[in-house]
Amino acid sequence: MTLADAYSLMPIIIAGCAAVLVLLTGPLLHLRSSYGIAAVASLTAGLWVPLVAPAAGAGVPGLVLTPLAKLLIPILCFAATLTLLFSYGYNARRDIKGEEYPATILFSLFAMCILPCATNLLILFLALESIAFSFYILVSIDLAREQSGEAGLKYLLMGAVAAALIAFGLALIFAGSGTLALHATLAGTGNRVIISAGWGLIVIGIAFKLSLVPAHLWTPDVYQGAPTPVVAFLSTGSKFTAAAALLMLLAFAPPLPELHLPLYMLSLLSMVIGNLAALLQKNIKRMLAYSSIAHMGYLALALLTGSKDGYSAVLLYGAIYTAMNLAAFGAIAALSATEDRALISDYAGLGFQAPLRGGVLALAMLALAGVPPTAGFIGKFFIFYSALKGGETTLAIIGIVSAAASAYFYLKVVVQLYMHPSEENAPAAATPVEALALCVAALAIIIVGVFPTPLMDLVDLALR
Amino acid sequence: MSLEFPILSLLTFLPLCGALLIFACWRSDAAARTLALVFSLAEFAFSAWACLYYYPATRALGAPPGMNLFEDLPWIGRFGIRYTLGMDGISLVMVLLTAFIGAIAVVVSWNGIKERVPLYYALLLAMLTGILGVFLSLDLFLFYLFWEVMLIPMFFLIGIWGHGRRIYSAVKFFLYTFLGSLLMLVAIISLYLLHGAQSGSYSFALTQLVHTAVPYGVGLWLYAAFLLAFAIKFPLFPLHTWLPDAHTDAPTAGSVILASLLLKTGAYALVRFGYPLFPEAAHAFTPLLYASAVFGISYGAWVAFAQEDMKRLVAYSSVSHMGFVALGIAAWSPVALSGAMMQMVNHGVTTGALFALVGMLDERTHSREIATYGGIWGKTPALSFFFLFFCMASAGVPGLNNFVGEFLVLVGTFKVAPAAAAGAFLGIVLTLIYTVRLVQGVLFGKENKPLSLRDLSLREGGLLAVLAVVDVYLGVHPGPVLELVKAPIALLTGVR
Repeated sequence: MTLADAYSLMPIIIAGCAAVLVLLTGPLLHLRSSYGIAAVASLTAGLWVPLVAPAAGAGVPGLVLTPLAKLLIPILCFAATLTLLFSYGYNARRDIKGEEYPATILFSLFAMCILPCATNLLILFLALESIAFSFYILVSIDLAREQSGEAGLKYLLMGAVAAALIAFGLALIFAGSGTLALHATLAGTGNRVIISAGWGLIVIGIAFKLSLVPAHLWTPDVYQGAPTPVVAFLSTGSKFTAAAALLMLLAFAPPLPELHLPLYMLSLLSMVIGNLAALLQKNIKRMLAYSSIAHMGYLALALLTGSKDGYSAVLLYGAIYTAMNLAAFGAIAALSATEDRALISDYAGLGFQAPLRGGVLALAMLALAGVPPTAGFIGKFFIFYSALKGGETTLAIIGIVSAAASAYFYLKVVVQLYMHPSEENAPAAATPVEALALCVAALAIIIVGVFPTPLMDLVDLALR
Repeated sequence: MSLEFPILSLLTFLPLCGALLIFACWRSDAAARTLALVFSLAEFAFSAWACLYYYPATRALGAPPGMNLFEDLPWIGRFGIRYTLGMDGISLVMVLLTAFIGAIAVVVSWNGIKERVPLYYALLLAMLTGILGVFLSLDLFLFYLFWEVMLIPMFFLIGIWGHGRRIYSAVKFFLYTFLGSLLMLVAIISLYLLHGAQSGSYSFALTQLVHTAVPYGVGLWLYAAFLLAFAIKFPLFPLHTWLPDAHTDAPTAGSVILASLLLKTGAYALVRFGYPLFPEAAHAFTPLLYASAVFGISYGAWVAFAQEDMKRLVAYSSVSHMGFVALGIAAWSPVALSGAMMQMVNHGVTTGALFALVGMLDERTHSREIATYGGIWGKTPALSFFFLFFCMASAGVPGLNNFVGEFLVLVGTFKVAPAAAAGAFLGIVLTLIYTVRLVQGVLFGKENKPLSLRDLSLREGGLLAVLAVVDVYLGVHPGPVLELVKAPIALLTGVR
């Protein structure tokens, strides 16, 4: 391992070392410092790639800084940093103590950074499961509340099944192809039947992680029970990496003809059922859980075209979705007191009582609904563009009609924020840190919405 | 000018700058009002200036035919999306109308809006930017963006400052238009892909997409999606059901902008994009458009007759009047089309004035029921005079503006489709009936309730006087407007 290799893998090293550092120094320092160290570390890791610009391709056996990683790592670090900023105030109000929280966030970030660098099926699997593992802890970290523990258990049980499926699927692919190296070309070699069977299992496992219907049932419960900043990170970082893992596998062994029907059904069901179920929700986090299911359905729609445009759309949408969900859950976290504001009707009048937080929440809702000039519109445009270009006209029209219906439940939140009188006193002021994080997320939504070209270029570079 | 002065961008984004500035001085209601007035007047002055000094003389380099003012910058390179604004006579007329009604809307709300004043004016100005963008953009992606951006401020205006079932109406308005627009987005992307596959150059520019050879069957579907989006905004029967709710529950200025400007975007877009992009499909849909227009004219008038609420009555009268616009577009002859353009302007001014009047009565008595009023002429002569005046204009009395548009539409249509013109004529008769009922019920007769009404204030009187002058001017001397739209219409119809 030369210095150049270390340079290129530095984000991983920073995240990993900082996780250990936070754990070791945690007992000696004030909790604020632990969060501070973690936030600075993840920010540094995120800025490393764009600022130092290490050459792609360097690395150690099993880990190489791929073009994909150069796109993903900054976005994931951005998500982790914002999550940490949201978490400090939220956890203080909810009495969630301990340096293990920032350390676990960093640990999951460490695994997330490894995932796109993997050149080997086993490393990919380990990264995927390490991410899930840290989320088992994070989801149930709120020990004082039963809901959190319940959510953690549900996530663990379902996650274990998914892990087993993915592991078995990878084993079958290995059996069929005889190689674990991700960059080997498999054209025409191997046992197609066994590889396809492996693919089937992997798709089910990844569908669980992306919460695609019918593997979505854990999502509303986990979103509802877990601490809100954790949901922010779970719904962005974990989902984005799972989608990236699928992309890497598709580049490795693309049995697309066989995959088309399952992905088609997953996408169709997720878009329709996710949006319809979200219409009925009264709890805002459950509503966002179903919305997240629908959005992953849009991702699957772009994926199943099997085209480069489709893959670009997946990455762009993943990045945009990260910003939108961080803004939404961040605002919910910042508006919470000792308990979350659970019901949508709990947000009545907050648009005026807490202009920044209410405004960012409203912006996030409009972005999720895909209203221009927010980034959400650019993302949807790209998804439906790639679907139409890939010939999936029927599914695209179904998707767009369900997206139109989805505007109703996003608007419900906006209506509560601005059009219903508030029944209680104004919530406590947001901490400067929360305000800063919210502003960053909101700016990202608007800037990408108006000037998407730089991000599009990065996405296209990542797929080269 | 060698270095182009971005006059169209300035025109489009000046109101948005005003909106942002109002946000900056968030605390003061008076400052917000003043700023809104200053910016809306500046916008109007600016558009008039552009009209007088820029429009006739310059012809930008590389501009498509007919577009005297033109701006073109790359925006999203990956998809060949460009920031293209262009202004021909039709756009200019619409921009002038928008700037004029924008200023009117600001003045109308001066005293009526008492809560969250800065946010109100910021949204009002932001909406003007959306509307101006629709009237000026020549890139379908950019057009779509502005088309959707218009929705959000209106949604908030109805939902926050509205009356009655304001939330229901706001959400209904939003969802209706959003669904239509999204299907249009699918059609836009499909057309883009079709054009790209044929020519090899992927672009959303209108000037390029018109050259696409669209297969007939595909064209029908794509045009249907466009027509759906436009017809909802228009609104064409039977897609009008959002309109009475939105108009009735919106604050006064919201109704003015909805009626005078938002409805026009649908008609404008049909002329600018629908017909040129899909001439064959548009031709195939013409009978449907005729039927919808003729039926809408009579239906709107008929339902307006039955209304007890004045605002609802005026709202349904909009459905009727916009039917004439649809009729003129369906006929697609130079005379009928210029009639449709006239009708758009006239309906904007007259109906805007009527909504303002109803709003003024509502401010005084907090009632919009016709039954509340009666015999108010004696108490409020000035208000009653304007009420009668604009009702007559709306009914199409010769010498006032609406007559010109309706007359031209009927003449133009009669040559092409006599049956449709005859059907529309029936609608004019019905229009007279509901107008007479409104005038009689509110102004004349005996007092139903002892109301203490004060007459017009200086602000209200001045506002209505300006609108009345415009009405008379357009009624007796419509030449300038017709002259402006003549060349673009000749280009569109291919008839000189």
